[in-house]
Amino acid sequence: MNTEKISYKKPLLETPFHKRTSEHCYANDWYRWAGYKVAKEYSSTELEYTSMRNTAGVIDITPMHKYEIKGKDAKKFINKLITKDITNIQSNQVAYGIWCNEDGMVIDDGTIFCLNENHYRIFCAERNLNWFCDTATGFNVTIEDISSSIAALAFQGPLSCKILNLLKVENIENLKPFHFDNYKLENQNVTISRTGFSGDLGYEIWCDPSQAIDVWDSLFKFNRDYKVLAAGMNSLEMVRIEAGFIQPNADFMSAEQALRPNRMRNPYELGLGWLVNLDKEYFTGKQALIRHKEKGPEKKLVGLDVEGDKPAVGSVLYDNSKKNIAKEIGIVTAAMWSPVLKSNIAIGFVNKEYYKLGSNVYAEIYHPEELDYRKIWAECKVVKKQFFNNPRRNAIPAFI
Amino acid sequence: MKKFDVIIIGGGHNGLVASSYLAKKGKKVLVIEKNEHVGGLAEYANSLSCISPIIKKELNINIPNIKDTDYIISLEDNQNHTILEDKNGKLSFVKTNADEDDQKTFLSIINNYKLFSKTLGSFMYQKPPRVKSGKRSDLFQLMSMGWKIRKLGKKNMRELLRVIGLNIADDLEDNLNNDNLKGLLSHESVLGSNLGPRSPGSILTLLYKQAINDNIFNLKKIEVTNYINQLEDCCKKNTVEIIKSSQVKKIVTKNNSVTGIQLNNNEVIESKCVMSNADPKTTYLNLLGAEILDTDFIRRIKNFRNKGNVAKLELVLENEINIKNIDKKMYGKFIYAPNIKYIEHAFNANKYNHYSKNPCLEFYVNDNTLSANIYYVPYLINASHQENEIIEKCVAVLNKFIPDMKIRQQKLITPNQMEEKYNISGGHWHHGDLEIDQLLMMRPFYGSSQYSTPVNGLYLCSAGTHPGGGLTGINGLNAAKKIIEDLK
Repeated sequence: MNTEKISYKKPLLETPFHKRTSEHCYANDWYRWAGYKVAKEYSSTELEYTSMRNTAGVIDITPMHKYEIKGKDAKKFINKLITKDITNIQSNQVAYGIWCNEDGMVIDDGTIFCLNENHYRIFCAERNLNWFCDTATGFNVTIEDISSSIAALAFQGPLSCKILNLLKVENIENLKPFHFDNYKLENQNVTISRTGFSGDLGYEIWCDPSQAIDVWDSLFKFNRDYKVLAAGMNSLEMVRIEAGFIQPNADFMSAEQALRPNRMRNPYELGLGWLVNLDKEYFTGKQALIRHKEKGPEKKLVGLDVEGDKPAVGSVLYDNSKKNIAKEIGIVTAAMWSPVLKSNIAIGFVNKEYYKLGSNVYAEIYHPEELDYRKIWAECKVVKKQFFNNPRRNAIPAFI
Repeated sequence: MKKFDVIIIGGGHNGLVASSYLAKKGKKVLVIEKNEHVGGLAEYANSLSCISPIIKKELNINIPNIKDTDYIISLEDNQNHTILEDKNGKLSFVKTNADEDDQKTFLSIINNYKLFSKTLGSFMYQKPPRVKSGKRSDLFQLMSMGWKIRKLGKKNMRELLRVIGLNIADDLEDNLNNDNLKGLLSHESVLGSNLGPRSPGSILTLLYKQAINDNIFNLKKIEVTNYINQLEDCCKKNTVEIIKSSQVKKIVTKNNSVTGIQLNNNEVIESKCVMSNADPKTTYLNLLGAEILDTDFIRRIKNFRNKGNVAKLELVLENEINIKNIDKKMYGKFIYAPNIKYIEHAFNANKYNHYSKNPCLEFYVNDNTLSANIYYVPYLINASHQENEIIEKCVAVLNKFIPDMKIRQQKLITPNQMEEKYNISGGHWHHGDLEIDQLLMMRPFYGSSQYSTPVNGLYLCSAGTHPGGGLTGINGLNAAKKIIEDLK
């Protein structure tokens, strides 16, 4: 091992794309993700966001945790791990799932790639090796952390398929959502999945680290006509809020990391009840989830359509239009002004009485204005979390 | 197809006690024992004085005490042995190299410990409260436990709370000068547990063992085989069915409820209620299977400390055993743990999974046979013991006190062999360390206390449950009560 690399001078690892990302990263603004550095903003967050919504954006998602599950009991193991039933999963299919602890509290979510009956890969945002290994007790499986042996790019945007098509990736337009396959991209063997974090048409490209630079370069090949941009974490945050995707340790605390027990959330509170299959014989947290379902959630993560144009970042939510008699009933976990929807959107927790669609709540927004705060009492309407959901996302064949 | 109200896995003494109680209440009970005879680990015990008087009375078990007077001999390298006499639980010095002040302090320390352990002892017959259950009975029990400690009086309560987390070496070094006496008491506190004299909590272990045994020096008072035979008779009288030489392969469950058991010959016996007398790790990981247990629960099972570290050596010599400098009338329980440092050094090896080159010994002598507990000989994972070397080291220690040993027969039982023979994972006497985080409502671990398990209809009654090992039978009694309460 190169000791220089892990010395105090270079505490963060560089992804296989670093040569290119550092060239693009005009702002030199890095984000720490799982021990790697990835760009927070390359030049302008808004511009990068615009590329993802209008042409295509490229995001380095290599630091994502990747686990290889192999063995005779691989499917059984995953069925014990996650709350959803994947008994009928086919090869080349991707499943989205969450896993909970014994109290039915969500630890993390991830995508599960089925390579074949006895071979799966799980991609997730947080470290989970310990949890997976303990869950695997009694199963004939091997679990390996393969995070550093796969380089990954998210290629998201309405023209993503068109550009892959121009790059002569054969038959890419017929790849169904939540499926993946092996393709040839400019002589490189890559795996492409039709998955993503943007709520729009998009792909994730998985390759060997040695091919990383070539894969990166090829995606920018048609930039004279289609302005593909490298997009940073800030712009990814924007598209994921619009798409209504939630993130552990941002919208909820992972049950493995929360220190205060009342900060943990169950799937019903996160609006992920559809991922829980209580008919399944056994999975971790089943008994607790039966009780949670019976009781109904005390609070719930909902979408909020906020009045005005000032984002309600970190706002506390209240029940009354009159500030002096208002009671606290929730909190905003993520908020932004959505350029594409031209509306002020937010995701937040509201109490039982208010999570019905159409309910009215009020956010106290502290809007910074030149070293002073403007306090705004904004009316919010409870709506579906999925603010942006373009039909392009699921169309087959994909838009070229 | 035979059907039973309760199936008990393992015919250890706790299983037999539980089955007798259940059968007395009119339940149809089946006991399945792996070995050819019942009793399990009880036959292994050198010392046995602790069978609960309530069980003796209620099950009509009548066993006479072997003798009223017993001796504890703490051996010393210079042959200045300390001999203590135990007359119906009252201790006095027969011979010692300690000065009078030390003798007095020693006895007063023991009296103090006795007082504390009595308080702990009063928790034994109760199922420990579940703190977060929200039930009034649990809350009441918790309060009554607190009240019992408070009832010791201000001074004694403070003293108990001071020593409860303390290590035995600190307390003894504060009060005693004589190395031999310090070694003797430290030995009693660490024997059979994964602690050294300087490990925090070793006093609690001593108090707890004392509470179980009703005696600080666990002396042999009754015949084990006699006790087991009477228990077995008691079971038969109450029409308990006992199948011997038959091993359970799996506990069969459906939808988180027990439906029966499967034997090694694949025969399935149905029952809605199964009680396991196997240790918690074996019960959960081997018999039930980790696949149907929550991951957090599996973590707790794996973290349950159950590494045994005592080996047993049986020696048969050519001629009668004579121990230097000791009158034959005073033969009793011999202990070789000359000082705290010696024990602590022996414990050091144990930390790194090695046997101690200078082991501590506890042994009994009878004519030409000698039976010794050697510690520390740790349980090894995926490795085997160098048995001859262990015996050699042990004989070297014995040679100091028994000159001209001519060995005719020798047999060593290591924790690994105990695991295999009695099906106790880790080969631990008490199925798990008796330490503060593995006692009362935390025994064996959170989520499995009060003899119940996360699976409906599955119960535990082994030494791995409250109040722990030590051949009290209380585990079986409490577990049977719990089942009777639940089946109502």
